[in-house]
Amino acid sequence: MKTLTNILWWLWLPVVLVILWWFASAQSTNLFVPPLQKIVESTIRDFGNGLLLTAMATSLVNLVLGLLIAILFGVIFGLIIGETRRLRLILDPFIHFFRSVPQSALVPLIIGAFGIGAEPKIYAVAFACVWPIMLNTIDGTRSVEVGVRQVSRVFGIPKMLYFRRVVLPGAMPQIVAGVRVALPIGIVVMVVSELFASNMGLGFYILNSSSTFRIPETWGGAMLVGVIGYFLVMVFSLFEKRLLSWYFKSAAR
Amino acid sequence: MTIPQSIHTGTLTTTGNVLLKVDNIALGYGEGAAEKRIVDALSFDVGLGEFISIVGPSGVGKTTLLRGLSGLLKPKVGQVVVGGHVVSGPHPDIAVVFQDYSRSLMPWMSTRENVAFPLQGRGAGKAERNKEAEAALEAVGLGGQGDKYPWEMSGGMQQRVAIARALAYNAKVLLMDEPFASVDAQTRFDLEDLVIDLREKLGVTIILVTHDVDEAIYLADKVIVIAEKPATVVDVIETGFGTHRDQVATKADPRFQDARARILTRLRHND
Ligand SMILES: Nc1ncnc2c1ncn2[C@@H]1O[C@H](COP(=O)(O)OP(=O)(O)O)[C@@H](O)[C@H]1O
Ligand SMILES: [Mg+2]
Repeated sequence: MKTLTNILWWLWLPVVLVILWWFASAQSTNLFVPPLQKIVESTIRDFGNGLLLTAMATSLVNLVLGLLIAILFGVIFGLIIGETRRLRLILDPFIHFFRSVPQSALVPLIIGAFGIGAEPKIYAVAFACVWPIMLNTIDGTRSVEVGVRQVSRVFGIPKMLYFRRVVLPGAMPQIVAGVRVALPIGIVVMVVSELFASNMGLGFYILNSSSTFRIPETWGGAMLVGVIGYFLVMVFSLFEKRLLSWYFKSAAR
Repeated sequence: MTIPQSIHTGTLTTTGNVLLKVDNIALGYGEGAAEKRIVDALSFDVGLGEFISIVGPSGVGKTTLLRGLSGLLKPKVGQVVVGGHVVSGPHPDIAVVFQDYSRSLMPWMSTRENVAFPLQGRGAGKAERNKEAEAALEAVGLGGQGDKYPWEMSGGMQQRVAIARALAYNAKVLLMDEPFASVDAQTRFDLEDLVIDLREKLGVTIILVTHDVDEAIYLADKVIVIAEKPATVVDVIETGFGTHRDQVATKADPRFQDARARILTRLRHND
């Protein structure tokens, strides 16, 4: 009963908004603001004929691979930089510089440098996502308790074990927060990267429909990206709860 | 646990057999002219199986001294020798129980994993680690609680876990930095008696640092009083209680009262 109330409470606003949109746009004759009904129809049609499914699969594969590369590099370098004072002092300005560069603006450069196909798009996502993950990992390592470091030193814990069992888990709450920040950045860059030299993916679907004035498809594609982003964040939250159960439970005390 | 029985001395004698030698050490933070000297010209010997208390006022440099003994802080002058080897860094014969248990246990590890972690550092296999960890937990009265996490336990229990971790490391010398400073009085007495018990059963050599004069006398065979700036040894008192203690009887013992008066006077004069 309680969950039902929760779901209702959580659903009412989106439902109201969609209904409002549906009726407000029903009579629209503006080419760029088609009736919602048309958007829904075109989306259902393109799901039915497989167009959107293929596009989604292409985009998601690029996104996930890019994110995995970003996590791998961001975490490994973040841990090393965070634990090495010298490196931290030297590299900090560079990392902040790259983090502040608008990543979408770099996409054409990356594509230009690496050419067409899936790989440059994966690199673009990875490059955009690696900075927040690395910065958070560095902060995370700094937040590991002095006491825990001393224990590791006194008991002669070898370096690799120390990284794996002390620094990594100690920094994990912030690493996860970094990935959470990187996720929406990755989604944007994924779509943007498909606007260049591409004939696949959701970005291409959006660009192609808009340049041939199939505006309902453009809307549908853009909204689909939003929905995907939402679901990815939801799935990530579940994963986060499991991975960091010690953190949430100990903080609750 | 495989604490060698040879260490067990039964009735304790402190003659001969020096296990740890602190030889005229100076400790400080910073280098050269900017150095802040905390400990200077400090020496004492610790016999095998002996229980030493080091007592001194807050801020005198007790934690700094323990960091020096454990190899975390390199002496500016002098040396610490354990079992014939100069301590030049963390040493397998030295285990430490830190002051702040809540910050020295890892919240992402179960208590068993916390206790087993130093053994993992030595390359022990999982089955062996868990067996040793379980035995150490048993020894501190936490048998069967290895699956719990530190944050599911009270302060006193967490400090027991920290003690178990040091025991499992199987070092010859156990250093303890105000281990009972942040628990309530009853828990404190329980933990004091636990440590006395462990010493008697396992024969570990213990150096415990505290600002509490009563605690220092109650636990130790020998109380080392440190004071002054920089800190140095101002008095050494043999308590002569043997291995057995009782929270009421021992504290009522005239030798206890004498030692207490002597230390308090000492510390007052050094204010
Ligand atoms: N890492 C450090 N750097 C500089 N000074 C320190 C450091 N740690 C402790 N001190 C100083 O050393 C003195 C003794 O501290 P400490 O050894 O913690 O005393 P105690 O444990 O007896 O209370 C204090 O004046 C403290 O400010
Ligand atoms: Mg201290």
